[in-house]
Amino acid sequence: MPGKWDWLKDELRASGMARATPLVLRFIGGRLRGPDDLVKCALCPNMCRHACPVGIVDGRETTSPAGKARVALFLRQGRLQATRENVSPLYACLSCDACSVWCPFGFSVADLLRPVKEKTAGGVGFKEFREVFENLEKHGYVYGEPKPSGSGSRNGDLLYLRGCTLREKHPDIGEKAEHVFQHLGYRAFTIDETCCGMPAYNLGNTSLFRKLARKQAEKIGSSGAGTVVASCPSCVYAYRVLYPKHGVEIKAEVHHVAELLEDRLKGLRGEGSFVIHNPCKLALGLGKPRALWKTLSSVEGLTVKEPRRSGSETFCCGHGGSAVPRLNPELARRIALERGMELTEEAETIVTACPTCKQAFQSNGFKALDIIELVYFLLGGEQCSR
Amino acid sequence: MGAGVETGCAIPPGALDRLRGLLGERFSTADADLFSYSHDYWPISLQWVLKGSFPWLPSAVAWPENTLEVQEIVKTAYENSIPVYAFGGGSGVLGGTVPEKGGIVVDLKRMRSIRLNEEDMVVEAEAGVNGYYLEKYLNSKGYTLGHIPQSLYVSTVGGWVATKATGQFSTKYGGIENMLLGLEAVLPWGDSVTVKPHPRTSTGPDLRSLFVGSEGVFGIITRVWLKTCLAPGERILLSYVSESFQEALESVRRILRRGARPAVVRVYDETETKRHFYMFEEAYGRVMTVMIVEGDSRIAGAERMIVEEEFRGRMLGEEPVKHWLETRFTVKEASEFTPLGVVFDTIEVSVAWSRAMLLYRSLVEAMRSVKGTLFASAHASHFYPQGVCFYFTFAGVPKGDPEKYYNEVWSVAMKTTIENGGSISHHHGVGRQRRSWLKEELDAGFQLLKKVKTAVDDKGLMNPGNMGL
Repeated sequence: MPGKWDWLKDELRASGMARATPLVLRFIGGRLRGPDDLVKCALCPNMCRHACPVGIVDGRETTSPAGKARVALFLRQGRLQATRENVSPLYACLSCDACSVWCPFGFSVADLLRPVKEKTAGGVGFKEFREVFENLEKHGYVYGEPKPSGSGSRNGDLLYLRGCTLREKHPDIGEKAEHVFQHLGYRAFTIDETCCGMPAYNLGNTSLFRKLARKQAEKIGSSGAGTVVASCPSCVYAYRVLYPKHGVEIKAEVHHVAELLEDRLKGLRGEGSFVIHNPCKLALGLGKPRALWKTLSSVEGLTVKEPRRSGSETFCCGHGGSAVPRLNPELARRIALERGMELTEEAETIVTACPTCKQAFQSNGFKALDIIELVYFLLGGEQCSR
Repeated sequence: MGAGVETGCAIPPGALDRLRGLLGERFSTADADLFSYSHDYWPISLQWVLKGSFPWLPSAVAWPENTLEVQEIVKTAYENSIPVYAFGGGSGVLGGTVPEKGGIVVDLKRMRSIRLNEEDMVVEAEAGVNGYYLEKYLNSKGYTLGHIPQSLYVSTVGGWVATKATGQFSTKYGGIENMLLGLEAVLPWGDSVTVKPHPRTSTGPDLRSLFVGSEGVFGIITRVWLKTCLAPGERILLSYVSESFQEALESVRRILRRGARPAVVRVYDETETKRHFYMFEEAYGRVMTVMIVEGDSRIAGAERMIVEEEFRGRMLGEEPVKHWLETRFTVKEASEFTPLGVVFDTIEVSVAWSRAMLLYRSLVEAMRSVKGTLFASAHASHFYPQGVCFYFTFAGVPKGDPEKYYNEVWSVAMKTTIENGGSISHHHGVGRQRRSWLKEELDAGFQLLKKVKTAVDDKGLMNPGNMGL
């Protein structure tokens, strides 16, 4: 079979231009990597714009995916000064990686922006992030001093990591989770966990992320757990994808609750109509765009619906990535509303598998359940209150 | 400001206050915003992006959320003689939105409402609705617009109408002008006008035409009403390999003469067949045609029979079409090659069947004759019973000024098109790249166009300089 670039070699020979184009020849011969990824992204017409919640809802070129890459490029070139006004667009990113699904190069814009963020954030010193960093440094918890963690068991065969948002905003889900795990035959236990570090990573503080990652990995290691399950897909993404990239090892198997529940609910019966919101880090980060649907559709009697943008086309709730809700809460709210309206065209109750998504929808007036709450109810527990 | 570039037009403090009061944070003079709206996807402006240096910046950017706000912005601009540039997805490839006189860029992407009337098969959409978003919405309700440009993911419905766009499925569904029933636009002095969406009307000259392809020079399109079609019940994928470009084109001509309308027809010359379909050895160095016949299964079935009766070539089955479907939105050449010093662009022209092959051969030869050209090739991408659109691609590595080389290729391409009886643009529009040739293209019509421009936009504030107006 002819090669990808044979046509161009033929053309160069025919035009007599082969010698005049050493760079092109090296590139098509695989001996030149070509421009760096940020430049490639900046020169793209935004072929992922339609998938980017910020790109669609904010509607600004400056905060569109390729638009952010251009701003980062101009900052890197020194053509734009690293002022708060010029650096802020880089943080108009939910880190959902919806861009990577459509990018011909497979880029995550969040990843492309990170080095420029790291370089400029210190100078800008966003006051909105300072509190997060201080909380993480001091308490290992995004929200400040953690509340007492309740009466969860301290030993068992399944380590359950609740994550900061669940602990702070929805501690009842943590308790329900333990009942659900028990039904599945596990003896779940908790530890005095530390934040996984994702907020620091998202906000451009990679050194703090690494510090938290090492601390959390050590705690998981000393728990002796062979299997770990977490309610927050961003935490699981950190443990499974980011930690190894940063040289931090977790020996235990790590699952998200939706993965643990997959194929385990057969025989369960229920009723009612629900619409699924796939959290971006579960669908895209962990590559499980159908996990939630598969789990719920195996329950007899449930009507499970999907919105227009589902599976790997899922649309972030607007509160991912740590930065947007802090720097631009109005944009986060508008994205949550857009997604919530789309979801509730299908059914009144949204089912998701991420405490942040649940919080985003609930705080904007939508009825949203975490998958644990629904399963707990199906197992005969009380319906959770909103 | 990092680049030290003048914005070209200072906005008086009173006007600034008024617009800030009206729009709040949806009005900006921040450097990052001005940089972001100083270019589109014109290859010349990509060079500016690469250098981080722009010859022109706007003075401000506005993001209105409804027609009334657009009216207020335009009215303020009119009263203060400030140029105004409408901005959609920024995927134009001819510099149509470059703010070369400074002024206010009005980005319509915050205007995104959609309303579908299923009984009338009409969708009403505000100008900033994203193309893919609209198509996905229609699909979920069982419809399609049938307008699938390569810019679908990027572009907006207002941009489609303003540039007289067409899509990959145009041989069946037509261009945007065939789908447009009505529109609302804000006029240069701030009033709005609605051309109502009737199935057909005979009430004087068609005012829609003033805005279709107007590229923002007569006002700002704020809302459109478009025809919808039922989502196809059946989709048939067909491909052929032919021994010559002419033979394949002739086959398509015969199919269209008989009234069949495959949605997609694309015929690639030998070079482009090698480039896009290198994995199909049977086609390498020959001519590939891919076709999609779709719609109601009975109609599609009949059209398939006509295609099979008329196409002289070897059938290659569904795989080449699937390959095309998978790769049709892959846009990466500019990203990969521009930083390597390669000048790369596409030029689309239309021509009647009787002159098609002559124009194709002459244009490829003309572009290849420019020193520095690496290759020039084409495929036929849109078809009519009367003629065809050729979509040429060229690339070169000039020794001197890349812009000089770029303009030289464009110059010979436009000249050759006019000499061979073609139209200099099929669907990309005019913008700033093609404006020097518009006078020759339109002949006396250009003077008429200028007079219309003066009458409608008496202060010359709407996208000044675009299309040479």
